[in-house]
Amino acid sequence: MSSNHSVPMLMLRDIHKFYDHLEVLKGISLDVPKGELVTFVGPSGCGKTTLLRVIGGFTPFDSGEVILDGLRIDHLPPNLRDTRICFQNYALFPHMTVAENISYGLKIKKWKKNRVEERVEELLKLVKLEGLGGRMIDKLSGGQQQRVAVARALSLEPKVLLLDEPLSNLDANLRLTMRGEIRKLQERLKITTIFVTHDQFEAMSISDRIVVMKEGVIQQIGSPIEIYERPDNEFIASFVGYVNFLDGVVERVDIRPDMATASTPIGRIDFVPERNFNVGDKVKLVIRPETINISRSEPTTGDNVLQGEVEIGMYVGSLTKYTVQVKGERMIIDQANPRETGIFKENEKLYLTIPKNIHVLRKD
Amino acid sequence: MAEAGSFHVPRFGVRERVKAFLNAELVNILAAILFLLLVIFLLYPILAVLIKSIKDPEGLTLSYYVKFFTKGYYFRSLTNTLLLGLINTVVCLITAFCLAYLTTRGPLLLRKPLKLVAMMPLIAPPYLFAISLIILFGHNGIMTKAFGIKWSLYGFTGVVIAQTLAFIPLAYLMIENTLRSLNPNLEESAYDLGASEIRIIRTITIPLLAPGILKAGLLVFVMTIAEFGNAAILGGRTPFLAPDTYTMIIGEADFEMGSVLSVILIIPCIIIFFLHNYMLTGKKFTTIGGKPVASEPRKMTPLVKIPFILISGTVGMAIVVSFGMVLLASFTRILGVNNELVLTHILNFDSNLAIYNSIKVSLIAAFIGAMVGTLLAYVIVRGKFFGRSFIEMISLSGFALPGTVIGIGYLLAFNAPPLKLTGGIMILALNSVFRFLAVGVEAGISKLHQINIEIEEASADLGANFMATFYKIVLPLMFPAFIAGFIYTFMTTLVSLSAVVFLVSPGFELAAVRIFDRAVYGEIGNASATTMKLVVIVIFCMVILNYITKKTGFDVSQKKGSVAV
Repeated sequence: MSSNHSVPMLMLRDIHKFYDHLEVLKGISLDVPKGELVTFVGPSGCGKTTLLRVIGGFTPFDSGEVILDGLRIDHLPPNLRDTRICFQNYALFPHMTVAENISYGLKIKKWKKNRVEERVEELLKLVKLEGLGGRMIDKLSGGQQQRVAVARALSLEPKVLLLDEPLSNLDANLRLTMRGEIRKLQERLKITTIFVTHDQFEAMSISDRIVVMKEGVIQQIGSPIEIYERPDNEFIASFVGYVNFLDGVVERVDIRPDMATASTPIGRIDFVPERNFNVGDKVKLVIRPETINISRSEPTTGDNVLQGEVEIGMYVGSLTKYTVQVKGERMIIDQANPRETGIFKENEKLYLTIPKNIHVLRKD
Repeated sequence: MAEAGSFHVPRFGVRERVKAFLNAELVNILAAILFLLLVIFLLYPILAVLIKSIKDPEGLTLSYYVKFFTKGYYFRSLTNTLLLGLINTVVCLITAFCLAYLTTRGPLLLRKPLKLVAMMPLIAPPYLFAISLIILFGHNGIMTKAFGIKWSLYGFTGVVIAQTLAFIPLAYLMIENTLRSLNPNLEESAYDLGASEIRIIRTITIPLLAPGILKAGLLVFVMTIAEFGNAAILGGRTPFLAPDTYTMIIGEADFEMGSVLSVILIIPCIIIFFLHNYMLTGKKFTTIGGKPVASEPRKMTPLVKIPFILISGTVGMAIVVSFGMVLLASFTRILGVNNELVLTHILNFDSNLAIYNSIKVSLIAAFIGAMVGTLLAYVIVRGKFFGRSFIEMISLSGFALPGTVIGIGYLLAFNAPPLKLTGGIMILALNSVFRFLAVGVEAGISKLHQINIEIEEASADLGANFMATFYKIVLPLMFPAFIAGFIYTFMTTLVSLSAVVFLVSPGFELAAVRIFDRAVYGEIGNASATTMKLVVIVIFCMVILNYITKKTGFDVSQKKGSVAV
């Protein structure tokens, strides 16, 4: 997925950061190509905001390099960097109007008065706030404040835009809308953007690439699909949605066709290996609830078919969630469309179909 | 349900009716009594001053005011006082801002020591700085003799220096508090948008701090113009309102002109009290919530860092040296003249007797003050009568009233039956009770707001009458506020000079008055030793207060500014 041949707009090289003796960034390296939207995601305390503040120049760090557009910038204070940040709480200047907020940076750069006015109008239009330039900040709604913060950060056409959980103060519906708008704006302006969030679904829906972090270490960098379908470890797999894990041992490996079999507590499972496995390898099967099919009659596909018994069924509208007992193991299954089979009752026997193209982790 | 007629309707006798009435109305009766006390001991004395200033044997007259405004000397004392207030406020605010900026934004290494130094004057009576200045720059001062300085300490500049040092904590505490609660993201945003540190301070920090700075300024202004000790000790021939009132009354027994000066002095104080109250309810800049970001120590540009450190360092040094000088002077025969180490000042019998008297008076004041404060807080919060906010306003107004005015007021109001108090101990305690009521009342109010009224209702539901509920539920819960009011009143009464200087009678000397007399007569060793004893007692009280603050979360230190004028 990564874009080709050009020099990355932003490069991080082995960034280390200590707070007293606590290492909060443990050697972060990352390339962000021009025009890409990269999301830092992870549980709180994983270092994502600290990393963003390192890029912005607010947090001094202990070793490593920050390279912006081919130039090292880590000795520069924030006011001399071509990065602009948009804080979680927006940090709009409450004693200034919308226009004064947006033009703050332009005036510092000594833009001519009429150019400042033009630029402010342009930005207001960009974020759909035409005519609100004269408003005071506290007379704006949360969504409007968010737009002003974005406009202000964009005012000086930064090389990298830094967004620190920009949507977390908005209510759920507005968050969805703003998410789409930010993505559209970013794609139109082709502005390199770093987006920090703790919300994995937000990350999945907005990013070109996702950087999953945990305890100051990058766990995986990849497109949303890669992160969801082929997580590198258990933490990532369970961080982006629910997952059934099955421990197993590789029993057979065939070369042609490419196929392997693992023995698990619920029986033998065939899978298409994504890498080389050897007989005897300890593995963990990653089975997403929505990939499992259920039926009353025995299916005739070539996939793995197992028998189970419904323990709990919960109809939640868009899907039905089942807890199914399979040979003493509990499996969570999402059934998207119950129209064909109807909803299964408790204690009802059923057949489970697990596809062969499941993701398998090697256990260390 | 059976038909209503079959119920037995109990008949209330007179006794029951009185009981029920008392139970329901006791809050209001209590409020009425407290209001009466406020009228007698706070409003009436001030009224007495006002009346004295416009009455002569023939009837009402404005002739004393005409005299005030036409005689250059009197009028100059007004302009001097206002100018002093203005200069002192500006100097205090600038210094306090530098200190607060460094202790919240500056290098970590400097934060603690600077904060400590900035708060140090809190443990000292304001006139400590007058004494230390005399030791250094007086006629026989150490610096005067060492460098042959020609500058005369006694006059405007001397008073400004002493006042600035004394009132720095007041401004510092308020500015530091607002600076600390300012979201650092705001300054970081400006930084991110290309602003230099100077520009950030000019366009973001100071405008956002403006309400806090203004409030601090008003408070410092009031405290400065009303302060008595420093101006009286160091004023020399420069007229100021507060000390001139004293000269007028005690020196020349001219009660009419003394009253006029008092009324003139009280006018700006009352204006500022209302301004200050208005600003408390005024708008604050709101910032959108989010995770609080700790203010990381940022690299300060030398253009800001160097002047800020210079200003803070100079003032900090001055404060520390002042304490050091007074401490040294307590243990030397005459510091700078005869440096022999002696204990005579510390062991001086009259000094210790004065300390003993002061403690006695302060304990009485503290007990009554805490009592009245707690009860006032209760009726203000729980009462259901008209004019509650008026009572609240009066009980909080004490800090804005200059001590000298209260002193004269008590002298005029209570020198004849039915309430003849002059010459006794009670008058020394009572003036403090009502001047320093604000802290106890505010502590009580904030404590009561934490106590859900349903707790009291539950008690009533279980059969307790008003008095039982009050003694068993309310008082124990309000105890921290009571103690806070007690210790605060004790401390302030102990060091307070401006009112009691009018009220002490021969043969019953108070420590503060003794320090003032000795300082004026030039017995610096004696004055220093007595001052240091007060400092030790105040430190002890602060430790207890600190402990209570930690236990209960009520921050009395924010109020400590109104100490001892």
